Amino acid sequence: MDKIAEKLRRYFPLSLKGWAVFLLSMLVASGICILLHEVTTSDFHAPLIFVLVVLVVSLLTDGYFYGFLASLVSVFAVNWAFTYPYMKMDFSIYGYPLTFVTMLAVGVAVSTLTGRVREQEKIRMESEREKMRANLLRAVSHDLRTPLTAISGSISALLDEECAFDEQERRELLRNAKNDADWLCRMVENLLSITRISGDSVQGIAREEEMMEEVISEAVMNFRKRNPGVTVSVSVPETLLFVPMDAMLIEQVLLNLMDNAVMHGSRTTKIFIGVSADADFATVRVADNGCGIDLRLLDHLFDGSLPLTGGRSADNTRSMGIGLSVCKTIVEAHGGTIRAENRPGSGAQFTFTLKRKGDEP
Amino acid sequence: MNIRDKVLVVEDEKSISGFIKAILTTNGFDVITARTGGEAFSMISSHCPDLVVLDLGLPDIDGMSIIESVRRWTQLPILVVSARSYERDKVEALEKGADDYITKPFSAGELLARVRVAIRHTRLSNVSLASTGKFTAGELTIDYDKHQVLIAGENAHLTQNEFKIVALLGKCAGKVLTYDFIMKELWGPQSKGNNQILRVNMANIRRKIEKNPAEPQYIFTEVGVGYRMVEGD
Repeated sequence: MDKIAEKLRRYFPLSLKGWAVFLLSMLVASGICILLHEVTTSDFHAPLIFVLVVLVVSLLTDGYFYGFLASLVSVFAVNWAFTYPYMKMDFSIYGYPLTFVTMLAVGVAVSTLTGRVREQEKIRMESEREKMRANLLRAVSHDLRTPLTAISGSISALLDEECAFDEQERRELLRNAKNDADWLCRMVENLLSITRISGDSVQGIAREEEMMEEVISEAVMNFRKRNPGVTVSVSVPETLLFVPMDAMLIEQVLLNLMDNAVMHGSRTTKIFIGVSADADFATVRVADNGCGIDLRLLDHLFDGSLPLTGGRSADNTRSMGIGLSVCKTIVEAHGGTIRAENRPGSGAQFTFTLKRKGDEP
Repeated sequence: MNIRDKVLVVEDEKSISGFIKAILTTNGFDVITARTGGEAFSMISSHCPDLVVLDLGLPDIDGMSIIESVRRWTQLPILVVSARSYERDKVEALEKGADDYITKPFSAGELLARVRVAIRHTRLSNVSLASTGKFTAGELTIDYDKHQVLIAGENAHLTQNEFKIVALLGKCAGKVLTYDFIMKELWGPQSKGNNQILRVNMANIRRKIEKNPAEPQYIFTEVGVGYRMVEGD
């Protein structure tokens, strides 16, 4: 019973828009027929115009319902109102069955086609998202192997009784293993962020009103724990700034940007985070005093092509690409934008915005 | 002979249990371990440890039910180990009676700090507070007798509610207090739910006592969970 109801609902959906389109088309067609009737004596335009109506209604509405309705009403309109004998139904005149069948056929065919086109659109978008997820997964999995190899290698060397390391060498191996492990943690957090976005709802994220300064200070504290040598200074406006967001995801964005500043800025010792806001958007800037972004890469940072560039520093570029790709996905899911530029002098600056109003993207 | 505090570590992952035990043992604690919830129950009642480190993701019993049943007969401190993204788990654990939480991955330093704070708070904790009526951390001083908060000797001019919040955090310094807990203490048991008023109060407090409200030194926000004051001197 439910399945039948479900099918009925799918093929014959009712909507305000549907009724509006149907009634408007009928009125317009009737209007044209009446006008034309004043001008010419023959009636052959009537069925043609109403075939057009059926076409238009099927094109603009979902499902088969309005197309069918248009066909039915058109046949009666043509027969009763717009062809001889006027204001009277007459099925005896040759050609009516054909007219009716033609209209119905047009209605069904166009409804089916438009339905199919919409389905294709949906499938295409799903497959785009799947592709993006698959790409990201592949890139990250590939990247997981390198640090794991390093960790496993370093520790097995330390366990090997035949390898005689002095205290400094041992500490170095252990320190490298720790750095790689930390990097792995960050990658995993990025992965989890992706699942957090694409998880449940269509738009993907659950936003709550959070205080910008609190989210930033938590991200900075987290970052400082792992990078004690880098100075981070934050500036927020004096007035309280509440922005709807998924705090965990925005913290991930900030962490990725700060980590990139250190990992790819090569000599970054200072990071500066500034926040400003207007009625519609909150803007966050993350700037560093490192070596800036390679001009060749600058235009391609966010377009997803970065993970694929080869070369000596491929691994480095790839990890930067993943972090930024995740940032872009998260920021856009919040209705915002992200961009990168080099600062005058030296260093890079990333700016992202977050929409302040409601749920509409 | 030194008396050592006894810590029960409830963790099913061998490697994590191993390294927690190693860190605590080296730092003067006696450590016993439990692999499952069932073992934990029996060991808590038979050994009466001074602290329980409890991983929430146990295979047999939900960590929450362990907290609930332990709290029925003792106030022994419970430190919960959780994964980063699950704020609801942390909040629920705290509301059921856990004292604090630590997020994976954590460093040895973080673990030790949380363990010490948790144990200290169940003893006659704030000895210095009891004797001088003052809590001090860096340049922050909470004067409980005069109901004042001083920064570098200057009065911060907190409102009554603001003072209550800071005083509460100071009494539990080092421990996280959930939004709901603070709301209830200040605005009564019916105040659950919308915590905007608390957050606005906290933002004002930050502007009065912190040099930079976005880089707090005294009161830290654990987003989605609550607030934590730095440990006293």
